[in-house]
Amino acid sequence: MMDMTTIITDLYMARADVFLACAALILLAVGVCLKTRAFHRIAIGGVTALVLTLIMTLQQDNSGDSITLFGDMLVYDRFGVFMKVLVSIGAISAIFMGVRDLGDHVIGKFEYVILILLATLGMNIMISSNNMLSLYMGLELQSLALYILAAFNRNSLTSSEAGLKYFILGALSSGMLLFGISLIYGYTGTTSFPLIADIVLIEQTDMVSMGMLVGLVFILVGLAFKISAVPFHMWTPDVYQGAPSSVTAFFAMAPKMAAMALMARVLFSAFGELHSDWAQIIFAISLASMALGAFAGLVQKNLYRLLAYSSIGHMGYALLGYFVGGFTGVTATLVYLSIYLVMTAGTFAMILSVRNKDNVAATNLNEFAGLSKKSPVVAYGLAIMLFSMAGIPPLAGFFGKLYIFKAVLDGGYYTLAVLGVCASVVASYYYLKLIKIMFFDQPSAHDDYVVAPSRLLRWVGVPSVLFVVTFIFYPDWLVYEATQAALSLR
Amino acid sequence: MNSGEFLSEYFPILVFIAIAAGISIAMIVGSWISGIRRPDREKLTPYECGFDAFTDARHKFDVRFYLVAILFIIFDLEIAFLFPWAVSLGETGVFAFWSMMVFLGVLTIGFIYEWKKGALDWE
Amino acid sequence: MLGLYAVFLPLATFAITFLFGGFLGNRMVQFVTCAGLIASAVLSCLLFHDVALLGNTSVEPVMIWITSGNFNADWAVRLDTLSVVMMCVITIVSACVHLYSVGYMSHDKARARFMSYLSLFTFAMLMLVTADNLIQLFFGWEGVGLASYLLIGFWNHKHSANRAAMKAFIVNRVGDLGLALGIFTLFMIFGSVQFDTIFASVAQFKHETFEFWGYEIHALTLACLLLFIGACGKSAQLGLHTWLPDAMEGPTPVSALIHAATMVTAGIFLVARFSPVYEYAPFALEVVTYIGALTAIVAATIGMTQFDIKRVIAYSTMSQLGYMFFALGVSAYGAAMFHLMTHAFFKALLFLGAGSVIHAMSNEQDMRKMGGIWKKIPFTYAMMWIGSLALAGIPLFAGYFSKDMVLEAAWADQSAHGNLAYWLGVTAAFITAFYSWRLIIMTFHGKPRADEKTMAHVHESPFVMTLPLFVLAIGACGAGYVFYELFVGHDRALFWADALFVLTGNDTVEAAHHVPMWVKKTPLVVAVSGIVIATLIYGTGGKFAGFVSRLLKPIHALFFNKYYIDELYHGVFQKPLIALGRLFTKWGDQKMINGLGPDGIAKISQCGSQILSKIQTGFVYHYAFMMMVGLIAIISWIFYQMVMV
Repeated sequence: MMDMTTIITDLYMARADVFLACAALILLAVGVCLKTRAFHRIAIGGVTALVLTLIMTLQQDNSGDSITLFGDMLVYDRFGVFMKVLVSIGAISAIFMGVRDLGDHVIGKFEYVILILLATLGMNIMISSNNMLSLYMGLELQSLALYILAAFNRNSLTSSEAGLKYFILGALSSGMLLFGISLIYGYTGTTSFPLIADIVLIEQTDMVSMGMLVGLVFILVGLAFKISAVPFHMWTPDVYQGAPSSVTAFFAMAPKMAAMALMARVLFSAFGELHSDWAQIIFAISLASMALGAFAGLVQKNLYRLLAYSSIGHMGYALLGYFVGGFTGVTATLVYLSIYLVMTAGTFAMILSVRNKDNVAATNLNEFAGLSKKSPVVAYGLAIMLFSMAGIPPLAGFFGKLYIFKAVLDGGYYTLAVLGVCASVVASYYYLKLIKIMFFDQPSAHDDYVVAPSRLLRWVGVPSVLFVVTFIFYPDWLVYEATQAALSLR
Repeated sequence: MNSGEFLSEYFPILVFIAIAAGISIAMIVGSWISGIRRPDREKLTPYECGFDAFTDARHKFDVRFYLVAILFIIFDLEIAFLFPWAVSLGETGVFAFWSMMVFLGVLTIGFIYEWKKGALDWE
Repeated sequence: MLGLYAVFLPLATFAITFLFGGFLGNRMVQFVTCAGLIASAVLSCLLFHDVALLGNTSVEPVMIWITSGNFNADWAVRLDTLSVVMMCVITIVSACVHLYSVGYMSHDKARARFMSYLSLFTFAMLMLVTADNLIQLFFGWEGVGLASYLLIGFWNHKHSANRAAMKAFIVNRVGDLGLALGIFTLFMIFGSVQFDTIFASVAQFKHETFEFWGYEIHALTLACLLLFIGACGKSAQLGLHTWLPDAMEGPTPVSALIHAATMVTAGIFLVARFSPVYEYAPFALEVVTYIGALTAIVAATIGMTQFDIKRVIAYSTMSQLGYMFFALGVSAYGAAMFHLMTHAFFKALLFLGAGSVIHAMSNEQDMRKMGGIWKKIPFTYAMMWIGSLALAGIPLFAGYFSKDMVLEAAWADQSAHGNLAYWLGVTAAFITAFYSWRLIIMTFHGKPRADEKTMAHVHESPFVMTLPLFVLAIGACGAGYVFYELFVGHDRALFWADALFVLTGNDTVEAAHHVPMWVKKTPLVVAVSGIVIATLIYGTGGKFAGFVSRLLKPIHALFFNKYYIDELYHGVFQKPLIALGRLFTKWGDQKMINGLGPDGIAKISQCGSQILSKIQTGFVYHYAFMMMVGLIAIISWIFYQMVMV
């Protein structure tokens, strides 16, 4: 039984998340009462809430060491702050994009914003989780919100199908995750990460029990599903294609950050001592993701499917950092994820501004033909983003890969680094293909796509481009923050 | 624990099953004996909402039935949660009280939402 | 600072006119480039006064270029007598040519581009001559090569012009390879590419040798020979000369500037610049002498038989370059530079005069279709006379002083190769006078052989074209007399200062002043007789010339066909190389490397991609199945490992 003062103190310490939860509920109640322009007003409220949450989160950073709350259920440390910042950026960008993409649309219901807030709350809990139970709670809160978001355009067959597929497969992966958790609980007698770590350390002396390893595998599979790592990626292209564009953007950004953070917590906080055992699994899925992301994207005609494979590939690279382990590896992954987030935000901001006369965003690659003539600014911005994704120096994407490969080489895995570079060469084909289409292809006769970015899209696109271009001048602060975050994880 | 002792612990359950079975059979048989039967088409359909149990599943139906059912389940489960809480409140104390208040608060927000959305209006 | 302005003004005008040519308009472009070049020429003359006459040599740093370990190469402008002499020649001739081009190219659509290329060339050439290290020299060297390529192929609608441009570029590549190897060799020997460092320590390394395939090779000789290969390419010496006549496909001002006065003399400059090194490589000097002397005679004999007015002058240029080289070979560097300078004036004059003729004859270049026009274009006629007199070495004209100096120095060397050079040179002098008057007579005298329409159209060139001719004519008349004392006379030691270096005992220029009278007079005698014979043969109409050429048919055929060197190269190098190249591209590159490499891998990737996208069926149970397969695979792997361990 916990006494009341502890509870109040803990609630105060966790004020960012508490605030976000309250804000989401209040906005829900307010939004349903609004008669007109509910989407836009709630979007303003949602962004304000996220910004305030972000400010509170950053305040925690000043409080110094990591703290655990609610009986070790949640942990607040610099790693958490780092990841929460990324998630919040993703969520805010997604709301900005949503205003352009859905705001004036029939399906533009204000619940979009609420769902993003709730998903963000779930992600924040995932990031902070220090226990299998809080892990599961956060994960499910996030997932339930995402299932609905995927099917948000309920008038569209593909969107409904995407939501349903995501839901069914997500339920399957949740089941695996739960089974893994119960196995772990069965073999260790606890669900708390630090306690699991203690038991693993003791068991290390003779032999780790089989059941625990299998449990870990199940948990990893559940998490790999969330970051769409091969072979648990199958839902990704369909959902990316089917879901509304701004939802896809959100999918590509925030949940990946949260799931990667969660994976880091499980792998390093709880099972850090078993690195040699789980590293092979990470190795396999990372390599498979890189390869599939590169090769399967080659023949795609739909832009969102292409970006799905692109994100699968990127997650493969990010996982390489976890594979190497140690704080260098985690640092590399964090840097990579940050850059990936910005690149994705920028890319989607550019893509979403290309719309036809029915205000529907372009989806097929050939609908981008002649973009450089319609709007050189957007074409060049998108080209910069794609070059960055392909890892062309001196853009930020190059440095993301650079840090990852540096970590891999420092770990002595030369073959892996070479394979990774090969995959990135193959993947650059489809990025360059889109650039070629934008700059050299003629638009078809009945092409009615025009470039119509909103102010909010510019707010996402312009800073992204600036970041990607100027990162070469100031890489240190990001690397420093990532290093601090990685050091606090443990 | 030997097997006899083990099984003896399950004896009350056996009794429970027997009583339940007896009462059920008595009710069915009683109604069968005493009931007046005047079957018509409406009465023979399994559910009053108009489902035929043995036809094609791809059938148009009114989604409002499901809406009501889901809302019912939510509040029904709420009762299932509230009951043990109320019984043990003396032992669990202030913490439990406020926990439930938060829970009810969230539920109320949901209730407001469904009301405003018109989920409670049939037409 | 003057030096920097003089060198970089042409670059500035090039940049402005090339980038904003369309915006400025043709008039403005012509004005900007001409003004820039004239300013540059004035600055160069001031520099000449300051550096060469007052002796204020200096090296003006521009910026740091390459710093790699202990290897340093910086941009700098080196101003000593050698470079300012070159600068004056280049900028004055270039200014004349710029001005001339305004008139000559007035009907060309792309005249703005032409002017900017001329400026680019001038900048590169100035960079070459003011280089302070080998790398910068190489930069200028390649820069003039590029400009030459662009200008030869300027009329890029003409197939022959494109071919000529490519030929010039490729043949020069061979020479450039030699130069590059020479630079490497020098860097290996001296560990530096700075001229000062190299020249200061030559004496230390005079016995240095390389081991190469069991042979001991004298290092400095090797370096000098390699540099000489580069010089041969640029200066069209025998063996690498085939591009020069073809380069006449370019507009005539280009021929005057690049292929007569400046770029082709880069080789002379290079050897003169490296006189401190050559002095310690006597064998290399001997080779230079032989090649120079042979070039002089071979080119002269070919020139005698050609009919294209520009080609005649082109072969004449080659022949004169041969003179300069054998002067270098006998250590008479001052004499070579002297001849370079005077030659620049009279050869540019001849070319521009020929251009004026071509302009008058409606772009006709064949001398067989000219004749009888001297009354219609008297000024050009007079200019051609002055140029030819200077070329033939008739007293009072510039060529007389320099050419005689060269020949006397060769004789004064008192060696086998010196003697050979002298006699070949004298023979060539005879032929030179002969073909010069053949040219004048065929072009200007006799009956008109052109059609009437062309003849009716013959007119004197406009003032912008005649003014440069006049300026150059002054040079062709006076340059020899004025600069004799400075370049090769009593003041030469003070004049050249450290720019040229001659070992004591090798000073042939000094010795040339004390040769017997017959050595001094022979060149004049043969030149005059050459003129007389040409007048006799061609003054009587074409019949006698035809008779003579039939009489000496085999020799004439050899000369006329340029010793069959082009055909020889075609058979020995071009054909097998092209066949080999075709083999490599077709089989080696396209089939093997591309087929198995990029294309093959791309094809495999596409196939793999197709398969992967087929796996993506869209059925949710397939997806779930995939997940289960993945899960089971991982768990099996874990079990397998556990069991194995």
